Amino acid sequence: MTAILKVDNLSCRFGSLWAIHNVSFSVERGELLGLIGPNGAGKSTLYNLIAGAVSPTRGEIIFEDQRVTNLRSYEIARIGVARTFQIPKPYRQLSSVENVMLTAFQHEKSVGGARAFAAEILTDVGLKDYIDAPVTNLTVGLLKRLEVARALAMRPKLVLFDEIMAGLTPTEVGTMTKFVGSLPARGITVIWVEHVLYAIMKTASRIMVLNRGEIIADGVPAVVARDPAVVKAYLGEEMAFA
Amino acid sequence: MTTLGQLVLSGIFIGGIYALMSMGLTLIFGVLRIVNFAHGEFLMLAMYGAWAITKMLGLNPYFAALAIVPAMFLFGAVVHQVIVRPALDKPHLVGVFATMGLSILMQNAALMVMTADLWDVPPIFGRSVEVGPFYFKAELLLGFAVTILCSLFLQWLIRSTYLGKAIRATVQDGEAAMLMGIPVPRIFLITFASGSALVGLSACMMMPLFSVFPTVGLNFVLIAFVIVVLGGMGSIEGALIGGMCLGVVQSVSSYYVAPAYGQMFYFVLFLLVMIFRPNGLLGQKGAATIGIND
Amino acid sequence: MSAANTHQSQSTRFLFWPRRGSQISIFEMAIFAGCIAVAMLGLSQSLKDIAVLTFLWAGLALAWNIAGGYAGLISFGHAAFFGVGAYTSTILFLRFGLTPWFGIWCGGLIAAGFGAALAIICARLRGPFFILSTLAAAEVVRIAAMNWASLTGGPEGLSIPPVAGVTNMVFASKTAYAVMMLVFFACVYVVTKSLEGSRYGYYLYSVRDDADAASAAGVNPVLVRTAAMALSAGLTGIGGSLFAQYFLYLDPTFLISPDLSFQFALLAAVGGLGTAIGPILGSFLITPMSELLRSYLGSHAAGLHLVIYSALLIVVMLYFPSGIAGAITRIAGRRGKS
Repeated sequence: MTAILKVDNLSCRFGSLWAIHNVSFSVERGELLGLIGPNGAGKSTLYNLIAGAVSPTRGEIIFEDQRVTNLRSYEIARIGVARTFQIPKPYRQLSSVENVMLTAFQHEKSVGGARAFAAEILTDVGLKDYIDAPVTNLTVGLLKRLEVARALAMRPKLVLFDEIMAGLTPTEVGTMTKFVGSLPARGITVIWVEHVLYAIMKTASRIMVLNRGEIIADGVPAVVARDPAVVKAYLGEEMAFA
Repeated sequence: MTTLGQLVLSGIFIGGIYALMSMGLTLIFGVLRIVNFAHGEFLMLAMYGAWAITKMLGLNPYFAALAIVPAMFLFGAVVHQVIVRPALDKPHLVGVFATMGLSILMQNAALMVMTADLWDVPPIFGRSVEVGPFYFKAELLLGFAVTILCSLFLQWLIRSTYLGKAIRATVQDGEAAMLMGIPVPRIFLITFASGSALVGLSACMMMPLFSVFPTVGLNFVLIAFVIVVLGGMGSIEGALIGGMCLGVVQSVSSYYVAPAYGQMFYFVLFLLVMIFRPNGLLGQKGAATIGIND
Repeated sequence: MSAANTHQSQSTRFLFWPRRGSQISIFEMAIFAGCIAVAMLGLSQSLKDIAVLTFLWAGLALAWNIAGGYAGLISFGHAAFFGVGAYTSTILFLRFGLTPWFGIWCGGLIAAGFGAALAIICARLRGPFFILSTLAAAEVVRIAAMNWASLTGGPEGLSIPPVAGVTNMVFASKTAYAVMMLVFFACVYVVTKSLEGSRYGYYLYSVRDDADAASAAGVNPVLVRTAAMALSAGLTGIGGSLFAQYFLYLDPTFLISPDLSFQFALLAAVGGLGTAIGPILGSFLITPMSELLRSYLGSHAAGLHLVIYSALLIVVMLYFPSGIAGAITRIAGRRGKS
């Protein structure tokens, strides 16, 4: 298995603050990598760097053996990297299916075809009842699922999930966890930032911990969970995992 | 060399007066997060008011300020209640169109009532003040002095009074401010009305130096926006610095650029600032980041 | 469908009418039939004049809407494109004898170029600063037109000789002009409708609603905005050329004024932004009123009609932000139709 994503000495500075500092890692094709860390650790910045929304100060990002470090976000989207936004950013004047159609247009050029495909994806994530609803009618939990649908409608090779569980009931968390877990089998590599730790600890094959812009742990969930540095970083947070 | 010095200094002084005109705008933008497209027309209205009082009562515009400033405060309060407040909880587009509509309304109402002619007030001091090798119109120096006093007063108000703290709290987080018991809607009202009053004051300072006509607002509103963007949204000091910079640039270049194209100059400058420095000289939140989705 | 699909209750939820794809409703077809009748009927000269202008403005409002309504690029400087189109075709005709039938396309193209340039220059600007930049840019164009006398005739403007003839695109009868403007209107309408339900329309909506999300979906916001502005500007420029052929006199003070720019936005906003029918309704309502007002009040009410319209705009935007079209939808929705 070759690495689908390789991040090499990546650093990003805002003013005098290093949001990301000398981060290096690689992600194998078909992996489900969990990315955790306390607030302010730099997870969103890392996503923004990979997805092309922000340019790094130093370092390289390589996707499928192609140097993508300074590509714009729409260029990165077009080569197969999808992302969700931590605070959902739906197109407010459109309906749910239209929101998803936008991303579907990447590979489905007809309006009718895109709509049908988008409706399918929405059904997959459990939004069947909201297909034609204006997105302003949706609650935060539903909007997060919409984010997932939008990302998947791209038929991405790599998807970056950003806290998609927030606001979900325990049952919904269970369904969503199973769903995310099924993605690698469909050929989609997943990086998953999440605060709902038990979901991610159960499903991910590997966990990376980010703190203050640096990777402090990288390995199998059980090992990472017991790592004293990780526990210290979370300082007082109880980590419950199945 | 003296010419350059003369140009630079008079640029600083007039720039200060421009800054006074812009302080209201930056305050309103900083607190309410809306752009008052009718800002130039507020200035126009106040200028007509100052002119009228001067003409009818034989006073000079500086005395007229005693009436104009409170009148503009009231006018601002009314506009806020009737037009701005209903627009605040709606998409930004609504506020844009509403204040734009107000701008056109005021321009054309002025056209109807006052005709398109240019009106002036007679010179008040009638002579220039000599400062070393330079000569400045007394009205210019007085206007600049008022500007400095006003900024100091505003600084004090914002830093030391409860109202100032309430305003700063509202700027940082309106919801939190409300939860802390700060009457945010009233803060909005006071801010908007005060911004309007500041415009009124600057109109009285500007009346001895400029003519008034129905579309005079258009020129000055772009100057005001350049200053606000240069200085950073919501910053009084920024407006002052931005104003003085703009004044110097305008003064120096209108000496060397053909007069027919002089008017175009403001607009080109505005576009240049938008292109190259949308985040302001001081790098604060500026035109590139304040958006419709904010 | 389930409860989740019931229409929104607040007027502010949907500023723009939900699209129904590129289907042309019976209502819209009836409107066009009516227009054709009006154009052909033997009405009085002044009524014909109103018809000519109403059709022109409907097309212009639709053109503005492509940028302002669909792409979210609110421009208060569109008169610049209007003027550029008018001047281009007129200068080509007066200087080089180029027939306006060809000249209008040149006008449209140059105006489109201006539109693209504006969009690129202002690519990083958001919200009110973009709007102000359009104002500033239009003023730059106006002042250039006023002062570049060797090209544009300066403040005196340009006159097209009133010699009727098909090659000159100058007609003796107003009916011919009414038909010409109606064709323009219909063409812009077709362009709008095709865009509305197409993939490209959706690119416009996505960039309008959330440019960052659109970018993450593979859409290039700068390219989309530039294309929308260029298209809108180009159509507006063609309208300007047609107007020049009707009015036969180009006056820079009127042609490229903020008041004229305001009118484009006014018609679209009052009628209903982001819909095809909105700008049409706006124009059909306001243009005849405007002309009638002007003829009744004459010259001692210079500006009165704009006072009325700006007041109207304020009221509409504060209380009916989705315009007339949106209000009709809501009423129809409440009565149970879908």
